[in-house]
Amino acid sequence: MNAPEFGDAGASAPDRADAPGFYAIEAVAQITQTPRHLIAVYCRHGLISTVQHPEEGGWVFDDEAIHKLRRIEFLRATYGLSLAAVRVISGLLRDVEELRQEVRFLRRH
Amino acid sequence: MAVEFKDYYETLGVPRAATEAEIKKAFRKLARKYHPDVAKDKKTAEEKFKEINEANEVLSDPEKRKRYDEMGANWQNPGYPQPPSGARGRRRQDGPPGQEFNFGGSTGFSDFFEQFFSGGTSRSYGFPPGAEGVDAGQFGRASGPRRGSDIEGDILVTLDEAMKGAMRDLSLQTTDPVTGKQEVNTFTVRIPPGASDGRRIRVPAKGAPGTGGGEVGDLFLRIRLAAHPDFRARESDLYHDLDLAPWEAVLGAQVVVPSLDGPIKVRIPAGTENGHQLRVRGRGLPKGKTGERGDIYVVVNVQIPTEVDAEERVLWEKLGEVSKFKPRQSP
Repeated sequence: MNAPEFGDAGASAPDRADAPGFYAIEAVAQITQTPRHLIAVYCRHGLISTVQHPEEGGWVFDDEAIHKLRRIEFLRATYGLSLAAVRVISGLLRDVEELRQEVRFLRRH
Repeated sequence: MAVEFKDYYETLGVPRAATEAEIKKAFRKLARKYHPDVAKDKKTAEEKFKEINEANEVLSDPEKRKRYDEMGANWQNPGYPQPPSGARGRRRQDGPPGQEFNFGGSTGFSDFFEQFFSGGTSRSYGFPPGAEGVDAGQFGRASGPRRGSDIEGDILVTLDEAMKGAMRDLSLQTTDPVTGKQEVNTFTVRIPPGASDGRRIRVPAKGAPGTGGGEVGDLFLRIRLAAHPDFRARESDLYHDLDLAPWEAVLGAQVVVPSLDGPIKVRIPAGTENGHQLRVRGRGLPKGKTGERGDIYVVVNVQIPTEVDAEERVLWEKLGEVSKFKPRQSP
């Protein structure tokens, strides 16, 4: 894996390939085999997001974005879902995850 | 693969009929004792701390506790539902059927926990056959090399590790379903400072092997922040529950509260209500790339004395007589 990495995934990691990092859109396209324009479309629809606003920090993504992108592509390829359907499912999954996080937090009170 | 049953009640030293409050109390007491930051024998304490966290993770969750109780001594009976082979816990994958992955406890969770309690609803998403070199939307229709599936797992991370970042050695054991041959792959994973609960870390090329010359899949580790005796984490903010005497809440006070990088003096204003949150800026967890830090919220928890001696009773009665405070509207 030759993905360029940014930010804290640099010199302090003993093995760059094992370091959690940040990825330029070109690297994301290579890792996920997803065309750049499609990544931009997913961003525009709020399905994945850059680490910071693109105007401030550029088109930089993290590991979470790679995971989400794989899920989106899996849903589209395996179940033939439209972008609108993927958006609904992604939204629901995000809500469920956020609620789970909140429940975990509250249980620790 | 055979796993060892864990008696979580014994780990926390509570009876099976223990209430939620008793479990919480037992956990906090043990977590304080064995927290790696305070224990003298750090190695032993770390192991014990992980066991306590795991037990608390199951017993403090009513759904998991119910499942665990039902499992009881029957968990190894042939009739008891076992997790499907090759899909243990969250380590599900789309690779060759039956291929089994096992972290051998190196993630901070035991095999027993990973098999029965680590599973969420999410799964991993490897590329279907023929995904290499084709456009999105074309998966499954082309033939050729097949990229290996991704594997998912949880990794237990302490707040101190989340604060400073850490390097963790993991062992991933793969068992071939046909030959039964086992391979152990050991590698180091970097936990970045500011790793928040639920965030995923991608470890490239540590997933299932590809076929027909396809790439190896990735490993995605989901951060699970260990419960801490003093703090609860929400993103990069930390919450500390501060017990106060009624007079401290009424008159105000100066108290010392813990933080992950040393104690902090906090002024409690006079007339602080129960549940009020006082914010200490910039003393929470790092926010990741920016270097900024979250905040600590000190949550006021006014405690009422349940026993009073004769002298105290006289003073409370006197206060009751002279006080103009009326908590209820007059009828």
